[in-house]
Amino acid sequence: MSFRDITALALLAGLAFLLALVLTEFPYTNGSLNGIGQSILALAPKEVGTANIVTSVVLAYRGLDTLGELIILFVAATAAGMVLSNSPEEEAQNLQPLVRFPAAGFVLQISSHLLFPFLLLLGAYIIVHGHLTPGGGFQGGAVLAAAFFIPVLTSPAGPFSHNVSSLVEGLAGGSFIVIGLLGLFGQGYFLAPLGSPGIVGDLVSAGSLPLLYTAIGIKVGSELAGLLARFTQT
Amino acid sequence: MMGPILLVILPFLGAFMLPMVYRHYAQVGSWVAPLILVVNLIICLGLWHGVEVVGAQSMAMGGFTAPLGIVFYIDGLSLLFVLLLLSGSLLLWLGAWHRRVKEEMLLLLIVGGGSGLVLSGDLFNVYVFFEIVAVASYGLSASRRGDACGYAASLRFLLIGSLGSSLILLGISIIYALTGTLNLSHLTLLAPELLQGAAGLSAFALMLIGFSVKAELFPVNTWVAEVYAHAPVRVSALLAGIVSKLAMVVVLRLLLLLYSHEYAYMLLLGIGVAGLVTGELAAFHAKDLRRTLAYSSIGQLSVIAIAFSIPGPLGILSGIALAFHHALVKTGLFMLAENWRGDFSSLRGVAQKAPLASFLLIVFSLSMIGIPPLPGFWAKFVLLQAGFAAGNWYQIAMIVFLLSIVVEAAYFFRFIRVLYQNSAEQPPSMPHKRELQPALVVAVLLLLVMLMIDPINHNLTTIATQASDVKAYIYNTLPAWKLDY
Repeated sequence: MSFRDITALALLAGLAFLLALVLTEFPYTNGSLNGIGQSILALAPKEVGTANIVTSVVLAYRGLDTLGELIILFVAATAAGMVLSNSPEEEAQNLQPLVRFPAAGFVLQISSHLLFPFLLLLGAYIIVHGHLTPGGGFQGGAVLAAAFFIPVLTSPAGPFSHNVSSLVEGLAGGSFIVIGLLGLFGQGYFLAPLGSPGIVGDLVSAGSLPLLYTAIGIKVGSELAGLLARFTQT
Repeated sequence: MMGPILLVILPFLGAFMLPMVYRHYAQVGSWVAPLILVVNLIICLGLWHGVEVVGAQSMAMGGFTAPLGIVFYIDGLSLLFVLLLLSGSLLLWLGAWHRRVKEEMLLLLIVGGGSGLVLSGDLFNVYVFFEIVAVASYGLSASRRGDACGYAASLRFLLIGSLGSSLILLGISIIYALTGTLNLSHLTLLAPELLQGAAGLSAFALMLIGFSVKAELFPVNTWVAEVYAHAPVRVSALLAGIVSKLAMVVVLRLLLLLYSHEYAYMLLLGIGVAGLVTGELAAFHAKDLRRTLAYSSIGQLSVIAIAFSIPGPLGILSGIALAFHHALVKTGLFMLAENWRGDFSSLRGVAQKAPLASFLLIVFSLSMIGIPPLPGFWAKFVLLQAGFAAGNWYQIAMIVFLLSIVVEAAYFFRFIRVLYQNSAEQPPSMPHKRELQPALVVAVLLLLVMLMIDPINHNLTTIATQASDVKAYIYNTLPAWKLDY
């Protein structure tokens, strides 16, 4: 056994020991909430007005965390883009054009075009109903990304503009922050929910939260599509 | 008061907008990021003044009061490190002549995330900001083009970092399962009853390992040498000098608020001593300047961990002093190391060609070793005072620390001797003026600190006392508990 194996085993044994310690003391509650969960469950419908309580936690009580998650995705995409993209000098040196995969067959190409509007519709639906039903900006955004990425898969030489995707991404991310700043200047708190909660369960309710989810959806969609396209093109 | 959130939000907004600005107004683009840093610096100084006048403050996000919503805690300690981050990244902008848009974006994101990391008073929020800083550092450490070793090093950094982040998340979820809350001051109230058993302490151990990846502490610092040897010097200076300290501040906060338990202090002390011994010995064995500096920064950060593991304000004071001293000096040293690559022996006779750079290197090394009257002496002296007053185990740690200074002196003097040897061969090229600019600024700052050691000592003592005041933390962040005190 090499030294490396021994250290790896020691690490695993240490982790197992810590987890065993945890298990000895863990509170096995029978499904009831402890701590602040209870209070949020009681307060959220009238304070924030979402039928989907998860959304009120994600966008209202812990809105800053969601902005942070959005930014983690943005950082990862930026860093990957930086490592993967070629500089202008390198592209000038590359005499051969980039090797591109040939386009897929007729059936796949046509069906990817057929899928496009339906995927857009599904993504938009999931985003817009994020405050009512499970789902929301992140999930809907992933569906939107698929809508734009499937055509890239079927015809890799086709047009995918990184300029447009990064423009949309920046604008959507910026508008999330701007909505937060409106709360800061209007009500004194960053990301304070704007507008009235409305009637719980209505499509137009929960104040500015659906707007936030729309910004998240568009941002996640353009970011994932751009990142995946970057992977296929390098 | 809206300053604290602007410290975090402005860099984020800037990073989102930067590509657009560059595309349409290329001339304006290169000024956006420094401008944001300057604005943030002004905001930070304003907040600093506010804290001096009215004491620590808190800021709730979204208008939801503390245990339910997220809260920022603004006191001397957090502002001090935000100040360090802002002024440090501004300093590293000096003379950086050609940057890519994406590098500037990642730097802004590190600034925003790092500010949030030290300001936030919510455990999960801390994790989110930590992730932003971590992912941006993986990216920056791979920013030298076409350097295969650099890519391999940053890939290793990414793997260790992801393991660390998942351990932090595991620790946080254990804490949430035990207590049902994530707010740090709410946790402080619950900690004596719920968190200082075996499960709570192992959650601390998991989180400590996770944060140690960035703080370069003992078992998880194997990425350090290769990343700092291959990344651009400004990135090495930023990661070693500044970002690593932010993770250390988080560990300090956890220790002060949640885990003022003997086991937790002893765990940090043990990790610190192990890191100190391994780091300094590895630095002694290293064959080139940048790896020496990387290993020496492992040693120095372990010393900071030892300092923070001493209970009471004196330990915190010495930790802050060491952190700031190391941030200044290591930044300067890394800037000088830009062109001094390769084995030591190839650097013979460099001093004749680059007298200024060699002189700066001597000043920084002497301060690092702790020769009076340079500030390094003061920082180490405060630690020795605190350590010898603290008890048995700490006294043993102090003896190890004294021995490590001998090793440190040995490798720095060895390198300086090489610089001043005569050589028949042509010595390699010298640090460019661009890299000398920040190094000169650092040297001037070091002299200023030396001249103003008394007022600085006084201010840092106030900050350390304020930071160790747990009741003030709870009083300021949990409005509902105000009646109890």
